[in-house]
Amino acid sequence: MDILMQLLMSGIALGMIYAVIAFGYQSTFATSGTLNFGQGEALMLGAMVGLSINGDVLGGPYTNYWLMIPLVLLFGALQGVVVEFIAVRPAIKSKSEFGWIMSTIALGIIFRNVAENIWGRDDMPFPSPLPTAPIHILDANVLPMELMVVVGALLMMLLVELFNRRSIYGKAVVATSSDRDAAGLMGINTGLVITFSYALSSMSAAFAGVLIAPITLTGASMGAVLGLKAFAVAIIGGLTSGLGVIVGGILLGIAETTTGFYLSTGYKDVPGLVLLLLVLAIKPSGLFGKTTIKKV
Amino acid sequence: MHFAIPKWAAPVLGVSLVTLALGAMAAEPIKVGLSGPFTGGSSPMGLSMRDGVRLATDEINKAGGVLGRKIQLIERDDEAKNERGVQVAQELINREKVVADVGFINTGVALAAQRFYEEAKIPVINNVATGSLITKQFLPPDYKDNYIFRTSANDGIQSHMIVEEAITKRHFKKVAILADSTNYGQLGREDLEKALAAKGIKPVAVEKFNIKDTDMTAQLLRAKEAGAQAILTYGIGPELAQIANGMAKLGWKVPMIGSWTLSMANFIDNAGANSNGARMPQTFIQEPNTPKRKAFIDAYLKAYHPANGRIPSPVSAAQGYDSMYLLAAAIKQAGSTNGPAIRAALENLKQPVDGVVTNYNKPYSHDNHEAITANIPVMGEVKDGHVVYAYEEDRKNPFHTK
Repeated sequence: MDILMQLLMSGIALGMIYAVIAFGYQSTFATSGTLNFGQGEALMLGAMVGLSINGDVLGGPYTNYWLMIPLVLLFGALQGVVVEFIAVRPAIKSKSEFGWIMSTIALGIIFRNVAENIWGRDDMPFPSPLPTAPIHILDANVLPMELMVVVGALLMMLLVELFNRRSIYGKAVVATSSDRDAAGLMGINTGLVITFSYALSSMSAAFAGVLIAPITLTGASMGAVLGLKAFAVAIIGGLTSGLGVIVGGILLGIAETTTGFYLSTGYKDVPGLVLLLLVLAIKPSGLFGKTTIKKV
Repeated sequence: MHFAIPKWAAPVLGVSLVTLALGAMAAEPIKVGLSGPFTGGSSPMGLSMRDGVRLATDEINKAGGVLGRKIQLIERDDEAKNERGVQVAQELINREKVVADVGFINTGVALAAQRFYEEAKIPVINNVATGSLITKQFLPPDYKDNYIFRTSANDGIQSHMIVEEAITKRHFKKVAILADSTNYGQLGREDLEKALAAKGIKPVAVEKFNIKDTDMTAQLLRAKEAGAQAILTYGIGPELAQIANGMAKLGWKVPMIGSWTLSMANFIDNAGANSNGARMPQTFIQEPNTPKRKAFIDAYLKAYHPANGRIPSPVSAAQGYDSMYLLAAAIKQAGSTNGPAIRAALENLKQPVDGVVTNYNKPYSHDNHEAITANIPVMGEVKDGHVVYAYEEDRKNPFHTK
């Protein structure tokens, strides 16, 4: 087994976990200029609902892993609509610059407390739909589930991209992203588009939840650290670029594993944060982000 | 207006009033604080401990209580946070006026909050926290009397046992230490390094990880490249599970030997088959090998119905249960609920207390507040989802006393 190869592979697998969560930050930012800071909790809720359907925590299992996914997607979409309706819409309506920050954070905390009361506070194993024995690729060991995270994340982003480019509804989303006021004048219901983008955002977070849960353990507090790291990835990659989150995620993942090995495991989170600071200092819109000029 | 009270009524009324008053006095309960983390990552230990204490309290109360009074638990969640622990201590002391406190899972919380009990001269029995410093915070000559007692095996004892197991019994020459970045992990790492140094051994790798870390590749590869033959751990359940799973992923399997937290249900469940073979010091293993242990296990399962008939943290439950019986015995011997009197009684318990972990015969003295000595814990091993005795001779002879 080649050490560097193993570190790269593990870094990529970890990075794709961050990327798939970071993707959720993008879709709402594009349409409304707001972010759901409860993204980590949306991920956690998706994983917990998935575990309730697929595992035995609430009297299940009711279906297998693959049939559970559409149900979780549906739940995620509904959860996103709730977040938008309660936390974001009032802030947008009152043209509040920062109201949505506090209200999405607050809603995230409420979701976590509710989850603690329903599912308890302990971390639980999520039954893996694929074999748990590692497979050998390019001189490194990789878990089948890690491959599935990579494939699943790419597939999801591809589908969303296709939807945006090919369907009339997708075009409405793109139009709202480029200029909300003009899109509104063209007869697009931008409010509905924003609601939709929140549904999509939480849906992708919920999907990410069931995708990564077999690797990361499932519990009410699983979203906190992951949500924060994914936010860093979204900033590094750029909040407007799909490619950006993938590159940003992989960069951060590899930075963590290689620093841990070559420097010290006590410092493994430092390079990622240094990278974040550098990006903010040199190219604040992110590595792949479009620079936006705010007209005042 | 004139009330005609029959002549016979006066004495009857008087007597019944006196009985009522006496009854009220007799029913006045003894308030005991019970503090620990009932939410958050340490809650499996906190809840098992709480249930153990509740069980003991119920039994004591059913048997008539202490000094003719019932024991009333005042339960408070310290959330494993130091500042919250301090608030809880002040509330229990000043508002609830507890006569003693049992609890503390987290070393950091105990060190922050105990000062208030010491100043108020209210005894504390630490029943789970293991930091070596806990019972040594208030020693003479700076403090005349120490009000802090313990019923758990401290980190000094545990790290010594871990090193003894790895180096002496299993003859490993190269070991790596993996410890989490909390107070618990880093103090434990120091103890491990000291115990290894005493054997003339320097760990080939000393690695750190954070709570909620999901990838342990870097730490494990460093240990592997350094040629480690075993991994010594100081952390809590979920991250320990990620270490075991990470080893399986790398296709590298060396024994895991670590502090007692390797017995936590959230390690065993989350690591599944990868947890097999992990060894750790245990004061109590869920096996009914003495009548007292059988009664305790049966009562616990009947009262709380844990999943799969397995106590989430058997060690915490047993130590919590015993701490209440020790406290009750001290109150009974002191004949009062006065703090200094209870402390003096704990330091000189005349009657042995038959506990789940051991038979406490003079467990404490004025200068020694550790009920568990190095000979009491045994090595446990994870086997198919349960913690069992690692050594046959321990299984045959599981009960040790100080």
